[in-house]
Amino acid sequence: MKNHLLLAALALFPGVGLAQSPGADAEQTLFRDSVRPLLSSKCVGCHNATKAKGGLDLSRRQNALKGGDTGPSLVPGDSAKSLLLRRVADHEMPPSNPLTEEQSALLKKWIDAGAFYEKEPILPAINRAGADWWSLQKPRSPVPPTVREKSKVQNAIDAFLLARLEATGLTYAPAADRLTLLRRATFDLTGLPPTPEEIEQFLADTSPHAYEKLIDRLLDSPRYGERWGRHWLDIVRFAESHGYETNQLRPNAWPYRDYVIRAFNQDLSYPQFILEQLAGDTLKDADFLTQSATGFLVGGAHDVVGNQTVEGALQQRMDDLDDIVTATGATFLGLTINCARCHDHKFDPISQKDYYALQAIFAGVQHSERTIQPPDLAQRRAKAADLRAQIQRLDRDLEAYEPLADPAAHKPMRAAVSSKRNVERFAPVEARMVRFVVLATNNGIEPCIDELEIYTTEATPRNVALASAGAKPSASSVYPSNVYHKVEHINDGRHGNSFSWISREAGKGWVQIDFPTVHKIDRIVWGRDREQRFQDRTPVRYRIEVALDPAKWQVIATSEDRRPFDPGRPTASIVPEGLPATAKKQAEALLRQRERLQAELTQMMGTQAVYAGTFTEPGPTHLLLRGDPVRKGEEIAPGGLSVVSPKFQMDRKTPEKERRLALARWLGNPDNPLAARVMVNRVWHYHFGQGIVSTPSDFGANGDRPAHPELLDWLAGAFVKNGWKLKPLHRLIMLSNAYRQSGQKNDKGMSIDAQNRLLWRMTPRRLEAEAIRDSILSASGKLDLRMGGEGYNLWEKNTNYVTVFKPKATLGPEEFRRMIYQFKPRSQQDPVFGVFDCPDAALARPRRTVSTTVLQALNLLNSQLVITQAEFFAARVQKEAGSDHAEQARRAFLLALGRTPSATEEKAAVALIAKQGLATLCRALYNANEFLYVD
Amino acid sequence: MIPLWHRLTDRRAFLGDFATGVSALALASLLAEQGKLAGETVPTTTPRRPHFEPKAKRVLHVFCTGAVSHLDTWDYKPELLKRDGQPMPGVDKLVTFQGENGNLAKSPWRFKPRGQTGKYVSDLLPHLADLADEMCFLHSLTSKTNTHGPGECHMSTGFALEGYPSIGSWVTFALGSANQNLPSYVAIPDPRGVPQQGPSNWTNGFLPAVFQGTVFNADNPISNLARPKQVSPQTDVATRDFLKLLNEEHLKRHPEDSELTARIAAYELAARMQLSAPEVSDLSKESAATRSLYGLDDRNPILAGFGRNCLLARRLLERDVRFVTLFNGAFAMGEGALNWDGHRRIKSDYDRHGPILDRPLAGLLKDLKSRGLLKDTLVLWTTEFGRMPTFQKGTQGRDHNPMGFTAWMMGAGVKSGFTFGATDPFGHKAVDNVLSVHDFHATVLHLLGLDHEKLTFYHNGSQRRLTDVHGHVIKKILA
Repeated sequence: MKNHLLLAALALFPGVGLAQSPGADAEQTLFRDSVRPLLSSKCVGCHNATKAKGGLDLSRRQNALKGGDTGPSLVPGDSAKSLLLRRVADHEMPPSNPLTEEQSALLKKWIDAGAFYEKEPILPAINRAGADWWSLQKPRSPVPPTVREKSKVQNAIDAFLLARLEATGLTYAPAADRLTLLRRATFDLTGLPPTPEEIEQFLADTSPHAYEKLIDRLLDSPRYGERWGRHWLDIVRFAESHGYETNQLRPNAWPYRDYVIRAFNQDLSYPQFILEQLAGDTLKDADFLTQSATGFLVGGAHDVVGNQTVEGALQQRMDDLDDIVTATGATFLGLTINCARCHDHKFDPISQKDYYALQAIFAGVQHSERTIQPPDLAQRRAKAADLRAQIQRLDRDLEAYEPLADPAAHKPMRAAVSSKRNVERFAPVEARMVRFVVLATNNGIEPCIDELEIYTTEATPRNVALASAGAKPSASSVYPSNVYHKVEHINDGRHGNSFSWISREAGKGWVQIDFPTVHKIDRIVWGRDREQRFQDRTPVRYRIEVALDPAKWQVIATSEDRRPFDPGRPTASIVPEGLPATAKKQAEALLRQRERLQAELTQMMGTQAVYAGTFTEPGPTHLLLRGDPVRKGEEIAPGGLSVVSPKFQMDRKTPEKERRLALARWLGNPDNPLAARVMVNRVWHYHFGQGIVSTPSDFGANGDRPAHPELLDWLAGAFVKNGWKLKPLHRLIMLSNAYRQSGQKNDKGMSIDAQNRLLWRMTPRRLEAEAIRDSILSASGKLDLRMGGEGYNLWEKNTNYVTVFKPKATLGPEEFRRMIYQFKPRSQQDPVFGVFDCPDAALARPRRTVSTTVLQALNLLNSQLVITQAEFFAARVQKEAGSDHAEQARRAFLLALGRTPSATEEKAAVALIAKQGLATLCRALYNANEFLYVD
Repeated sequence: MIPLWHRLTDRRAFLGDFATGVSALALASLLAEQGKLAGETVPTTTPRRPHFEPKAKRVLHVFCTGAVSHLDTWDYKPELLKRDGQPMPGVDKLVTFQGENGNLAKSPWRFKPRGQTGKYVSDLLPHLADLADEMCFLHSLTSKTNTHGPGECHMSTGFALEGYPSIGSWVTFALGSANQNLPSYVAIPDPRGVPQQGPSNWTNGFLPAVFQGTVFNADNPISNLARPKQVSPQTDVATRDFLKLLNEEHLKRHPEDSELTARIAAYELAARMQLSAPEVSDLSKESAATRSLYGLDDRNPILAGFGRNCLLARRLLERDVRFVTLFNGAFAMGEGALNWDGHRRIKSDYDRHGPILDRPLAGLLKDLKSRGLLKDTLVLWTTEFGRMPTFQKGTQGRDHNPMGFTAWMMGAGVKSGFTFGATDPFGHKAVDNVLSVHDFHATVLHLLGLDHEKLTFYHNGSQRRLTDVHGHVIKKILA
């Protein structure tokens, strides 16, 4: 960051090293414009009157001449004898950031000219941007400038760009050919290559509006939302797991992804888009996806590991809130507000108070799933009820094969206890309460039961243990402060370790269910972990008792008549052992039927809970000294950044919802100087490969300055004027001649502006991981364009406490959907395409890096996915082009690269097909630079 | 032959995509000796000179996950023997990560003086204890967090949050690789699985992907390294030849494009790696004595597996791989964690984990020494934090303790048989020369010739460093 300050200093004082004219005026200018800022920013911070490191004070000439502990620092007129210059030249000072040659030369010149001071003392530079920072000013409405080459101006964008280019002696590269333009526009807006039909259609359209029609067609395509939605997910650090050591999955986070895709496709106005993501839950008539939009707030990492220390738990909460503040600040304001968590922002005018004012807005947001009504709720409920009834009937039929428990028996008649699931059948009995008493566990530690089900004798048996049926659980003890193991989990209808009860007594404990009325029951089902991850803590000795009156318990089943627990077979089948063959067959058929119904039921349930956060009324928010969660400072009221107008401050008692609504309105206010600028710059960034501000989420002093400030303001103005709609903005940009240039280089451009900040050509770009995978599937003809819903998963199913990610051995049609629908755990990359600089969603990634690695080459050459797709690709070409090798080569090139081969290429391709087969050609095409790059 | 990278003249990728503006300057200082930037155009693993003359050329980082108890291994506390079973003085109700603590508990293992220096090390790790004379102990490390995931992130990346580049990524970003036929940064997971925080331990974070750790161990090769079964060697060659032609034709239309040239080179590199990586993983040529030294003949398959990983690490370091992280310990799974997380029964847990680490790692260190590799290889032994001097209430295990724990270094540039920093008489808190993980990282970079304040990369508002805004080189341990 220090380098950066240096740059800033140089930018502010462009005369550095250039003041040439002699005389006192020149000296003054030299001091005022160059030396003072240098001393101020580089030296006086330590060497001033109060601090005087090494005894040296450079803030006044007199003291500088006197020098410090090692002698006089300045000898006017003789730089060679001046200690200051020697230290600087030796790069000893300033200690962490030596001066450049030019800066040293400047000091030398100044000393040789007499070490003139003008205004004393020199104060240490405050290197922080002020309220006058460019991005905090309201965008102006600049008039597009006039340019010499008027014929090159398609719209205002060109006027702004050409004016700068002409001033530098540059101009646009020649226009790109139509095929290049088609491929560029198609990838830009849809993330897919143009199909042969689209190519043919575009080339055949000779009307002057062919290109405009193309843009409109692409913007109308549902593929557009999938492409630009993916960009948005990068910006907001969306992922489908908690992160950190457990990295547990969020199977219900996907509705946010679908919301984003729809928002882009519908071209939602930007303030509405902001509003829904911050407060979609509060909006009237918000449908399922709109309510899911608050997935934005809780899209980041969340440490779920229980921490018993006060400071540890507080730190986790503060980290959660910091993630939300960071994401909001970076996404909508392009500011790094998070830098003000521990102290005032070092570079931007954001105070620590501002940070906590924003934190107060989110103080009621909790990481959690929220139940949202799916669109077809009524049908789902009916279907689920029906499925549940069917399953219960099956269970009773199945369990009829199970022998009755006999509390009097002392020899093994029944199956051994299973960690997964056990059935206790007994003669019908009336009960008001049921108690499960654990006497021993398989490994001697506290017992765990994930669910206790108690069934009535009715024709359609009901589980009357459920809390939803009015039953109340209690227990001898409970595992301390743990989110997974609670008494309420014993009858919450949810299975698995994460929804279980554990006692606090080694090897024992009891849990009890009290019914609101008397029920006639004949069956109890229980398990340690129905998801079969865990086998420890299994109750292996127990008794089950019932009572109508708490003074008179009656034992109805015990473990005494079960065979001994066998740790080698912890997941015993639901079908009892030792059945005659026909009975076994019947039972197994029932079991298979049950599994099918259960899978169907899971689907009916799954979409009601969405990882979109829950909201509670918060307590007071305090400023935290040094960001330390246990060092509370003053109480802070919710509000916006004090330096960003319009002013936005709320009462400390403002209700939670109001806070988020107010923030959303403030961000979407046309007078907010940042929101529109930041968004148009993001769009620009994805069209040209770099933004007008090249740091898309940092419009502060540490970020980049706009290459074209007027253009940025003009675009922001146009964006707002068009109702904050993105599609007109894309159209504007893509219809400009700037966008339609070719990538042709010239020496002049390369020597003046190799980075192409001025846009004298179109820089070729490598496709992103998603576009590469989608293109491979598109060429092979296997791309499944089904939209929305639960994503596909590359990983084997896993419900371990610490999620283990094992890639599936083979991928099939289920996994051939677009990559945006790939289940995306945090920090866990797609094993083939992750290395193409895919964000791992641990942090926001508003700008992806582009790198070239050996692993990319290996994955594209050798991964099973690519090899398989190359075979599909070949089969497709064979089908579409017939058996002629030249025809095949032409078709394959067209599908992969959007063009026909040159004579040289065709000859080589035909030879390759003849010797090595068509799939070999396809594999090579998938690896070609041209396949991965867009001109 | 002049490496391809040096013939490139296009600065677009370097200044445009890789590092805009400021960060280009940051790297520029690393490249200063080349006089100009023209030679280096894309983020590559081409070897680069550090800021100043280094002591170490490469690093072996042994990371024992799950939090190794310093009190049962390296940090001898006679006071615990005296006060075993008594409440810790000066503490009323001590609540740590998992809850309340019971009384002070002595280590179940005996501590004995070792070697010339007489350093007390426990009997848990007898083979490693024999090497105490070579080690440079840091007894006063502290962590920012008491939770494994953030703790592993902190030790691996300098940040207790996810998403920041790992130390190996920073090092290869700064120095490149001295061997272009192998990955420059290798992460070797334990035979039992990956550590709890998984890929966050070797992620490139926001650095270009070329600097991420490549994952493989002795039993699981680099994924997609091998030619697929369906493809014959002849077909593979023909594919590459055709690909070369395609790319050359394409390059004619994009003259002097460094990214495209780099990608062509990456395929050449891939071909070389397909030969050298299996060679480096092939342990069959190692002598029986060497195999035994590393414990490959042990009956415990996990010990033998970790031994194979240790041997692989040596073979990588020998071939100048810049940074090798060797993990000991995997993710936790209910009871019987697969790592050093000894909450319930430290004795039986560590009796399982100790031997797995001890003989193979000691074998590796001895082997490195006898081959002269310790001269320019820096060895780091770390864990994410330490454990409590008390047992957790109702258990015979120790809870997490980030307030004081031990790491050690060995080899290039550090004093041997040296002890720095100390915890209090119970081993609860670091009290003497208290060190942060940032200090540890700053020192590692220093030994590699890198100034931790100058090694920066712009990301979301800051010139990011491995050491955040902290860290001091621990000068007193430098040889």
